[in-house]
Amino acid sequence: MRKSSASVWLLLFVSLGCCQASDFFVASAYHRPDPFGSFVASDHAGASWNHSIQLTSARGGYVSFQLVVKSDTACSDCKLSIESAQSVDVYREWFHFNTPDKHYYPDALIPIHVPFSFQMPDPENAIQGQTVRAFWVDVWIPEDTKPGVYHGRARLTDGSVRKTVPFTISVSTAQIPAQDVLNMDSNSYGLGWLQAQYPKALAGSGRAKEDEQFHLIQQYYRIFYENRGIYHVLGYGHSGYVDPGFAPELTGTGKEKHIVSWDKFDRLFGPVLDGSAFNGTRRGPQPIPFMYMPINPEWPANYLWWGEPGYQAEFTNVVGEMERHFREKGWTNTRFEVFFNQKKRYKGFEWDGDEVRFPKDDAYFLVYHDLLMNSLPKNTPVHFVMRADTSWTMQQQMHRLKGVIGLWCAGGGMFTWYQDELPALRQQGDIVWIYGGTPPVQDVSSSIASDPLRAWIFGVDGFVRWLAVSPGPHPFQALSNGGSETLAYSGERFGIEGPIPSIRLKLQRNTIQDLDLLEEEAKRGSREAIQENVVELFDNTRLAQWKHSPSPPPAGKPVDWTNADISDALKPYDAQFPTPQPDAWQRVHDFAVKQAGRTQ
Amino acid sequence: MKLAAFVFLGLQLAFMSVCGGVPAVAQTASSTAVNLDTQQRELQEIARVATGMIDGDVCQHIVTQRALKHMLHSDPRDEWQAGDNYDVHDAPFIQTKKTLIRLAMLAPYPVDVSLWMPVPTTQDIQLVIRNKYNLSQFWNGELDQAMPPEMHEVLQTGKTLTIQKSPGMISVLAPVRNSLNEIVGLVEVVSSAAAPQHDEQ
Repeated sequence: MRKSSASVWLLLFVSLGCCQASDFFVASAYHRPDPFGSFVASDHAGASWNHSIQLTSARGGYVSFQLVVKSDTACSDCKLSIESAQSVDVYREWFHFNTPDKHYYPDALIPIHVPFSFQMPDPENAIQGQTVRAFWVDVWIPEDTKPGVYHGRARLTDGSVRKTVPFTISVSTAQIPAQDVLNMDSNSYGLGWLQAQYPKALAGSGRAKEDEQFHLIQQYYRIFYENRGIYHVLGYGHSGYVDPGFAPELTGTGKEKHIVSWDKFDRLFGPVLDGSAFNGTRRGPQPIPFMYMPINPEWPANYLWWGEPGYQAEFTNVVGEMERHFREKGWTNTRFEVFFNQKKRYKGFEWDGDEVRFPKDDAYFLVYHDLLMNSLPKNTPVHFVMRADTSWTMQQQMHRLKGVIGLWCAGGGMFTWYQDELPALRQQGDIVWIYGGTPPVQDVSSSIASDPLRAWIFGVDGFVRWLAVSPGPHPFQALSNGGSETLAYSGERFGIEGPIPSIRLKLQRNTIQDLDLLEEEAKRGSREAIQENVVELFDNTRLAQWKHSPSPPPAGKPVDWTNADISDALKPYDAQFPTPQPDAWQRVHDFAVKQAGRTQ
Repeated sequence: MKLAAFVFLGLQLAFMSVCGGVPAVAQTASSTAVNLDTQQRELQEIARVATGMIDGDVCQHIVTQRALKHMLHSDPRDEWQAGDNYDVHDAPFIQTKKTLIRLAMLAPYPVDVSLWMPVPTTQDIQLVIRNKYNLSQFWNGELDQAMPPEMHEVLQTGKTLTIQKSPGMISVLAPVRNSLNEIVGLVEVVSSAAAPQHDEQ
């Protein structure tokens, strides 16, 4: 009895000691911790350290939460383990010093295998005074999961003491559709960003290195696909130079110009065009739905022949061969975009292909459309489409280039003035996306949902984050721009030859899952009623505020507008929307799962 | 005469030792020196022909007066206004760019021939036309920029200068004249030992 009593006291002592050393909590996906024992300022509202969490989920998607270890003292042999009926993907969160506001934010997610042994503080993250380590947990709910309540638990072992936090997932009958309601696009340009982020993997030359580079690019397609997005990488620059692999190799000139090799192009893009690059993903292999072509004023036709018969001969020869190759390969599920990105301010060409400001430049689109049509056989199953990224003269272009442009990518702010053009565009079979930036880490977590939500409410087909793979130099030391040009990071410093996701990418994916559910509900009942509910839950606004701008575009001709004019004219629209609460989308998620569970 | 020089130069260049369209820069120090020396002479010859062939009057009509006005008068409320209003007259641009491309084609390896012109009423210079390899030892990506002393010297004296500032790159700067025999701009004939890369965004 005496001996037993001593043991109890010893256990209690160790346990109390452990409690002082390490606390173990669970937090919602929307409340990001900082490394010093609090939450990041923008996510503070409603945040709490919890000892358990209850989540809801539809089937065929992910549900996420965070695990947080707090400790005022060092821990050299902590271990995290998770028990779950469903598969879990676990990541350790990297705290980035954010130069703009000089605070730390978790964003990059480094995949780990559980059980995972770790130290406190994190010697790699190397933050003075760090008392928190955080882990992101994605639970995958397969489509064939039986609806019901599932229990799991996460366990922290600190020396001889264990702490456990339970999690409960209520899986509804609702099924997330395989096809997303929006093309949530991450855009990029060229390969400079890749070379900067993978100095080890890409050092050297030769075919093996080239294959490594191509594989890396395919990994970017893969990470965005797995997170319910699409990816674009433009293979040519403002003066028309095409990076190796982004176009077939050509030979000859004039009427003799033709394709001499598909080798590099097929090695780079073949796996994403036939879907094999996505083998092993939870969504399963599918060909990419969209892809930039290398076609520009300097390729495939030599600019030297512009306006001469040789230009048409070179263009139609090569594009005709491309169509044939794509058809023979069976690449008929992808829209191949003929997109002109050049701007005359970069001195390569005499017309703007991107964001046309001067109406005279529209004539070039007509010429290229004719060239394209002359290159393709009638009724080809291969889908080439002319794409225009439009802002200043959006409304005028939508009329002047009717029947020429099939894919519109419209500035998201200015599109608020021209939503009335959408029905006519859709009626003629056009695809319409809007574009914008990426919320930086210092913005409230739920802000990542605003753009896809707006795109869904507008009824467009996609939202493009204009640059989403460029974290800037040394992002693991400091984010120079809040990560506003990236949703993925290089895994190279962690021994991963490919990109790793960010918290913002995961939250965006969860948004898309919920929009997929909501779209199904909107199709079944009153779209307006569903959307009205959603915006009220999100930021307590009304649908009409999202759909209609209270102020018109600036007066006068677009060619005379300034950026300040546009900014001023957009202010009344933007001012309608309060900063959402961190859990704003959590409320929408719960609504979406509940609604869909009732009707599906 | 011009045409004869053009053809002769083309023949000369056709005999150069190149491999796969990439500048032949050998591994050893002595052969590198020889090849760079040869390459330099070839670029100088292209520059000489460029001075003879490029029509300075046509070049003076490329950038629109409206674009110049916006370049010269900044708007404190709109940092992008100069770029957004940058515009060129299509015909002189196309005519001159085609000539620049033909000149670049005289070398059987990647060469860019770019047109630079002073910004009127300022001490600045602007790149007016560039070509596909994105080669330049001077361009900083801006609409206009401070005049490099080498360019100032070419514009003032009419001399042809050969510049090797960036590793592996050779530029030859040569004047462009109009019908009044005024130097109204210059060409940068440039090649690089490094593989070309496209500019981004």
